[in-house]
Amino acid sequence: MQYEKISGLRDGALATIPLLVGIVPWGIVAGVAMVAAGLSKLQAAAMGVIVFAGSAQLAVLPLLIAKAPLWVMYATGLAVNLRYVIYSAVLAPHFERLSWAWRALLSYITVDQTFAMLVAKHSPDDSAGGKHWFFLGGSLVMWSAWQISSLIGIFAGALIPQEWSLEFAATLSLIAILMPLLFDRALVCAALAAGGVSLATATWPFNTGLLAAIAAGVAAGLTVARFRHSLNNGKTA
Amino acid sequence: MNVDAWAAWALIVGLGLGAFFTRAVFVLPGRHLRLPATAERVLRYAPAAALMAIIAPDLALVHGTLSLSIDNPKLVAGLVAFALAAGTRSILATIAGGMVVLLLMR
Repeated sequence: MQYEKISGLRDGALATIPLLVGIVPWGIVAGVAMVAAGLSKLQAAAMGVIVFAGSAQLAVLPLLIAKAPLWVMYATGLAVNLRYVIYSAVLAPHFERLSWAWRALLSYITVDQTFAMLVAKHSPDDSAGGKHWFFLGGSLVMWSAWQISSLIGIFAGALIPQEWSLEFAATLSLIAILMPLLFDRALVCAALAAGGVSLATATWPFNTGLLAAIAAGVAAGLTVARFRHSLNNGKTA
Repeated sequence: MNVDAWAAWALIVGLGLGAFFTRAVFVLPGRHLRLPATAERVLRYAPAAALMAIIAPDLALVHGTLSLSIDNPKLVAGLVAFALAAGTRSILATIAGGMVVLLLMR
């Protein structure tokens, strides 16, 4: 058991280290952008610890600058985080034998990269005892890297003049996050529809157009997927 | 440009609860819950739609009016960032390239 714990933590941590190239610049940008959007240093640092979801953190910043109401920012953060619901469903059988406290900890600390890492290495029914240690080892590296790089950004961001418009880096980083998600035509159509509707509804009160845009994007994605599906069925029939 | 402290903390705590809830929703109850297939299809498109719905207005609206012109620095910088993201898959290159274009055009 002791061996499982140490080797699991170590293997998880080692597997995550190459991913730091991606997360460190992203954390620095998030730190800079949080301060540029008007959060205090303490608030920005607390956001990294309490929310610990980079895309959601960055997604609400343009809305914070546009003075959107809280509930619109909550709904937006939730929409961006909906991918975690899928992760949670996939991870549940892996962790079902653990205690409640363990499951809460591993839920809080789940990120895209560690999810992919665990799913690639273990199947849900393998009873490898060390998988939660493996997951925790990788997650601890990601968590620490995110907090440290955010702090670097927060303190650096406070020194950079406002004319540099560094809050725009938040939008640019959303572009970098979005691109790898667009891996089929239905997803591209979902994004294009959401973008178009968000422009058309920009004058709606309280940024509610944003929510209409998300709904339109989901509807477009589902429609295109269904259409292509029936087209493929027609070919094979 | 300071944000009202109460609103900022409400945002942080609310987002934190949402982030925890979405990650814990199936892991915490254990094997009792399963994700319906319809839900999975909807969830697939929401994150990409949400991200684009935030990006598009920041690039294409100038003081609330649509500006699809080459004189709009954010639009040009954003399009360059899209190209860099597609070509390099690098977060750093995307952000650095977009910022350089924005600052050069001002």
